[in-house]
Amino acid sequence: MDPAASLTQPALWPLTAIVFLPALVAAFLSLPIVPKAREEFIRWTTLLTTAVVFVLSLWMAWPQLFGAAGPAQFKLGEPGMQAVVKLPWIKAFGIEYLLGVDGISLPLVVLTTFLSMLAAAASWPITKHVKAYHVLFLLLVTGMLGVFVSLDFFLFYVFWEVMLLPMYFLIGIWGGPRREYAAIKFFLYTLLGSVLMLLAILMLYFTSDLRQLAPEQLLASHVVSPALDAAAQADAVKAITAAQAPVHTFNLLALAQIGQLPNSPFAAVQLWGMTLEKWAFLLLLIGFVIKVPVVPVHTWLPDAHVEAPTPISMILAGVLLKLGGYGILRICYPICPGAGLDFAWLVCGLGVVSMVYGAFAALAQKDFKRMVAYSSVSHMGYVMLGLGVWSAVAGHEYRWDAWAQGVNGAMFQMLAHGISSAGMFFMVGVLYDRVHHRNLEEFGGIFNRMPVYSGLAIAVFFAGLGLPGLCGFIGEVLVTLSSWNYSRVLAVISAFTVILTAAYILWAIQRVYLGAEYKGPHGDHLTPITPRELAIATPLVFFAILFGVAPQILFNYVTPSVNRQVETLADWTRRVHDAAPAQPVAAAAPRIAP
Amino acid sequence: MSGMLGSTAAIVGPMFAATTADVSVTHYLVVGAILFTAGIVCMAVKRNALGVLMGIELVLNGANVNFVAFASPYLRGQGAPALGLDGQVIALFVILLAAAEAAVALAITLNFYNNHSTVDVDRADDLKG
Amino acid sequence: MDIAAQLPLLLGLAWLAPLVSFVAILFFGPRMGPHGRNAAWVATAAIVTSLVLSLFAAGTWLGAHPVQAAHHGAGGHGDGDHGESHAADAAGHAGHASGHDEAHGPLAYAGDWYALYEGGALRLTIGWYIDALTVLMFVVVTFIATCIHVYASGYMHDELHDVTDHEVHLSGGGHLHRPGRFPRFFQALSLFCFSMLGIVIAGNLAMVFIFWELVGICSWFLIGFYYERKSASTAANKAFIVNRVGDFGMLIGLMALWGALGTLHFADSPVGGGEPARPGLFSLVRPAAGGHAIQVPDGMVKFAAAAEVAKTPAAEVAGKIDGWRGMGLGRWLLFTAGVGIFCGCVGKSAQFPLFVWLPDAMEGPTPVSALVHSATMVAAGVYLVGRFYPVLTPDVLLVIAYVGAITLFIAATIALVANDIKRVLAYSTVSQLGYMMLALGVGGWSAGLFHLVTHAFFKSLLFLCSGSVIHACHTNDMRKMGGLARVMPWTAGTMLVGCLAIIGAGIPFVIGLSGYYSKDAILAQALSFAQANPAHSILYLAVAGGAFLTAFYMFRLWFMTFAGEPRDHHVADHAHESPAVMVAPLVVLSVLAVVAGWTLPGGFGLANLLEQARPAGTAEGMTGGFAFGTLVFPAEHLSHEGAIHVTATLTAFATALAGVVLAALMYLVRIISPAVVATILRPAYAFLAGRWYFDELYHALFVVPVLGIAKLASGTDRGVIDRIIDGLAWTARQLAGIDAWIDRTLVDGLVNATATATWNAGLELKKLQTGHLRQYVMFIVVGTVALFVLASLLFRTSIAG
Repeated sequence: MDPAASLTQPALWPLTAIVFLPALVAAFLSLPIVPKAREEFIRWTTLLTTAVVFVLSLWMAWPQLFGAAGPAQFKLGEPGMQAVVKLPWIKAFGIEYLLGVDGISLPLVVLTTFLSMLAAAASWPITKHVKAYHVLFLLLVTGMLGVFVSLDFFLFYVFWEVMLLPMYFLIGIWGGPRREYAAIKFFLYTLLGSVLMLLAILMLYFTSDLRQLAPEQLLASHVVSPALDAAAQADAVKAITAAQAPVHTFNLLALAQIGQLPNSPFAAVQLWGMTLEKWAFLLLLIGFVIKVPVVPVHTWLPDAHVEAPTPISMILAGVLLKLGGYGILRICYPICPGAGLDFAWLVCGLGVVSMVYGAFAALAQKDFKRMVAYSSVSHMGYVMLGLGVWSAVAGHEYRWDAWAQGVNGAMFQMLAHGISSAGMFFMVGVLYDRVHHRNLEEFGGIFNRMPVYSGLAIAVFFAGLGLPGLCGFIGEVLVTLSSWNYSRVLAVISAFTVILTAAYILWAIQRVYLGAEYKGPHGDHLTPITPRELAIATPLVFFAILFGVAPQILFNYVTPSVNRQVETLADWTRRVHDAAPAQPVAAAAPRIAP
Repeated sequence: MSGMLGSTAAIVGPMFAATTADVSVTHYLVVGAILFTAGIVCMAVKRNALGVLMGIELVLNGANVNFVAFASPYLRGQGAPALGLDGQVIALFVILLAAAEAAVALAITLNFYNNHSTVDVDRADDLKG
Repeated sequence: MDIAAQLPLLLGLAWLAPLVSFVAILFFGPRMGPHGRNAAWVATAAIVTSLVLSLFAAGTWLGAHPVQAAHHGAGGHGDGDHGESHAADAAGHAGHASGHDEAHGPLAYAGDWYALYEGGALRLTIGWYIDALTVLMFVVVTFIATCIHVYASGYMHDELHDVTDHEVHLSGGGHLHRPGRFPRFFQALSLFCFSMLGIVIAGNLAMVFIFWELVGICSWFLIGFYYERKSASTAANKAFIVNRVGDFGMLIGLMALWGALGTLHFADSPVGGGEPARPGLFSLVRPAAGGHAIQVPDGMVKFAAAAEVAKTPAAEVAGKIDGWRGMGLGRWLLFTAGVGIFCGCVGKSAQFPLFVWLPDAMEGPTPVSALVHSATMVAAGVYLVGRFYPVLTPDVLLVIAYVGAITLFIAATIALVANDIKRVLAYSTVSQLGYMMLALGVGGWSAGLFHLVTHAFFKSLLFLCSGSVIHACHTNDMRKMGGLARVMPWTAGTMLVGCLAIIGAGIPFVIGLSGYYSKDAILAQALSFAQANPAHSILYLAVAGGAFLTAFYMFRLWFMTFAGEPRDHHVADHAHESPAVMVAPLVVLSVLAVVAGWTLPGGFGLANLLEQARPAGTAEGMTGGFAFGTLVFPAEHLSHEGAIHVTATLTAFATALAGVVLAALMYLVRIISPAVVATILRPAYAFLAGRWYFDELYHALFVVPVLGIAKLASGTDRGVIDRIIDGLAWTARQLAGIDAWIDRTLVDGLVNATATATWNAGLELKKLQTGHLRQYVMFIVVGTVALFVLASLLFRTSIAG
């Protein structure tokens, strides 16, 4: 038996369990033996499942907490893929069950499991079709986690779609008054993105050819499992290199290696006046930016957020939006570097437009939740800007640290926004549960009525404002500082956003929490925060402060992987720019990742 | 109707021509045809169910005459391809069937009479489409 | 213990003590005694700890670096021999910049506690930069904060029980009745002290920016302390947002530095392992090799010359940098960096055009106004300019000088007509901050910072006095006061000291209050600058005119409040002297307001202490500038030369005296009626009383358009993008409708038509089933015959044979 395909790979069960345990429990809950009426049981099971998954992800990410570090656990400082799981799935197309984590995906996985746990706890007020809700919720969790750990493009796409459907139902059934409209809008937007993505996946697949890769690259990208012994490795490599027809692949790492080849096939094929690489980049980018979302494809977000129930808003803002950024970082740039370089202005421009536009729009909102939703648009703009600042070419010095700083800042911003936006939506939800309206003009005086809640809420909103000492600041300042080397104009505009951010958040705080008296209906329902709500809000505030004060906790994970990717692409840029016309392109040695 | 008459003449023609010859199959066939036609006409014109039954009997027996005639070696001459006793056997079957059919038909008629106090078949249109 | 390790430890602990207090009060505040009364003790204990540690650090500092007697400086009034000490001083500065001078030891210590972000060569850290200025600021801040903590524990006693807020009218008609928030006040105060000390100790601009924002939010909390009042929360928001406008500029400055130089550290940071230290901003802009003369750093030159660099082989780039620098590449970048950082200071120190938030900030409790909005936080901008001084080019300095001049003039004029006692002081603060900025801008580094320190003492004193008055009168309106000196002798006396200090009272060339020294230094430097750059003489006029205005409005305040007869007997009857816990800080501060400027016989004095921290290369004066023509910044010690010094001192004395006399004529002896003056100068009076209409202008220029754009953006979403999306969906539904119609009518119709035809055929055929037996037989016969005939016609042969 092929040891690479054996079921004894160290990371197989941990990673599989993290991804599929929620789905398994969902399947169990959907069985008729679980009566619909036992709502408490269903809620506790869901909460427990998400807690177990969270602990599992923590076990992977922080081995010191659990004693000895096993082979499946994460080694800090190691930039490459770790805990790789590789099993054949659909052999005819070379589709594999290929999972793995690195410094980019692991923090997002932990964020997802963490927020899922909190969202499960925040689901207690849901009383309609409790069983169906929790089944869909758990399926959603599986989808999200799957996207983050998949290294096979096909698998990635499957999980991407798995995520979409539960979300549609969760908004469409458990949402507010305009839920159908919002759900359909969300679904159509996202589906459009998925379809374009599928197109790009197929373009890349049918253009890829593993035979172009050197044996080391095949090993590095896990096309040939490094777990094999030397002889078996040689055989596997030979099987690929000696093939008569092109060997296509869905392996994301291998696609990245191919895309960065000096004679990349993606850059060679021309379609309607552009290279295939650019087409694929644009198609993927559209798919991902819809999820981020950026202006002008963002309008699903306010509606979806306003209509979605609180826990789903938390997940939506905390995790789903990150998938877009993750996709751009993991897929668009490494696989299509040429297009990435040429379209960096587009990515940055979209980011800055989103920042400013989202902030302005947030300023004009009357609906509390809608305002928070627009703040997400604005904050995710920083992510786009940070990802896009391809400044390695400034003055031909190929200094990559400003760019790496942008990407690191974008990663941090994603994680920080995951915490702060989930917190903000939860805080809005706490109020909505009591007074059943969200009109900013009809609040006021909440601080005197609910002091503990208001204190926590203001802390979370300050995190969103980007106040130093809270998590929002680090990402924003890193991204903003890094953008200068890419474009002075964009940098100035992005710095300008800090004024607007302060304006809309402080104004909202003033209207909701400050003031002498509550102006809206159901004032007598403004009861102090419950222990359950406190148990959800406190960790969010805690992490908002912790990551604001000690961001290096996250950077320890993120920076090695990000820096390596950026460094590799900066080298790639140098190669492209320095390649003298006389020098044959093929002579440039392909760079092997260390 | 003229075609029908024409074809009748074609059959009747040889009959007169054979008056001077031996009795042959043709003669029996003519008898059978007359019986058959008489039966058909009887079925078609009689309103009385019993009359109709009689017409059926005539039709059956007209057919029987033909069977017997075709089967008889005497009538068809030596060397002609013979049917053996098949014709007679089938004729016996037909007689048997006719008996059974008459029994059933009479029972139906009786029932019909009991229900409708008539044996006029034109009144028996309960099963029309 | 090595001093290099000792100072960061001492000051670091002094910095963190208020944070501990903040956390403690945050969690246990309401449980600290009845109504959280003991929270005041916790906070005070923390700040006293900081004070003690700071004093200890100051002692350590002075032990290692004794203040030299003959240092030139603003405090050296009366002694004419600064020239001799200058050479030795310059040598000391060379030692400072290189970090390790054998004779003097380092005059600054820098290091990092930990890194927020490290990637490649870039590091954002939390660290320290400690020089004499840092130590001095620590002592000043913690000292004033201690006084104000003590004062506030008396002033805020209303919050110890339930409070009825008479300024808040509920919809039901009554006034707001709420529980007291005594601990919360001290909690915010502690957080503020922590943040403020963070700015002071910061070792790099990123850390400054972090604590810059934090003091901003503390200020937000404290201005909005009475958050039930709409005016308070609006003022808090205004303060923070206006500050953010300044921070926007500061971010640009940070980006310009960070993008080109890759560091925000002030000082060089050692790398270890025998490698050369990574240069900080100071040594990049003023390299020791160039005698600390300011120059555009290599990084900025390369950044500006990116197009040239791209064309040059990598090995030749280093050799060409000097050439590019000579072409002026990168100087705009350095200018942008300087002006950008200064923008942050404009916001924080309430300079024109961003000063509008400070008067509104007086909505906060008076101790807050004294600590945050006069003595410390608003001075942070001045402090940062002083700290960042080596990087500021002549052009930037000129911008700073003009901004300071405009500010001091505008604010002083508004203060002339304000009637709210705290607003007069607020505008006075703005005006004095303008003085400091102007001083820094004309090359008076030491003069500006010296004034910062003395101003901190007397302005906090003035604010606390005004708090004492408000506490007694329950009103801010000076028109209702008068004659309070009799009931509040201590307050009146200490406030008089404060007023004298701020106008720079003293016996010329002999002795004076603290303001006398610092203000004269500013005046002298402005005069010195004006003589060197006749085109900019207006700066000197602004300073001199400002001195007159200051004297006038300060004594107008004092006369209106304390002198004469009570105007409102209701107020006067209830007035009483404040309790000892409030008076004691007044006395302590008034003593300091008197002596802070003095130089002891041994040469020890604030001015000389400051000289220790003078940035390398700024002692000699500077000539340069490209955007506004060539500017000459005379060395600061030259302003103590006979002619300039005498002129400046006499001018200061004369203007201040004139101001006091005019105020006395109008408000004490009332020979000139203010009402008549106001009537005669009605348009001017209305303009000033309307505060130059800045609020209205900004509202129309910025607030309204921003809200308009916001509406537009939101409307675009709903009206355009969503319309398009909905339109697309509508179109799709219409297409689907057409499709459905085709399905239903054409395709289904065809199928149904077939079915219907079959059905109808069946119905027709049904009619043949008459049930008539005879007819059936006829059909059979006819059918048979017909078939026969057909067969015979078609297959004729079969019949034949």
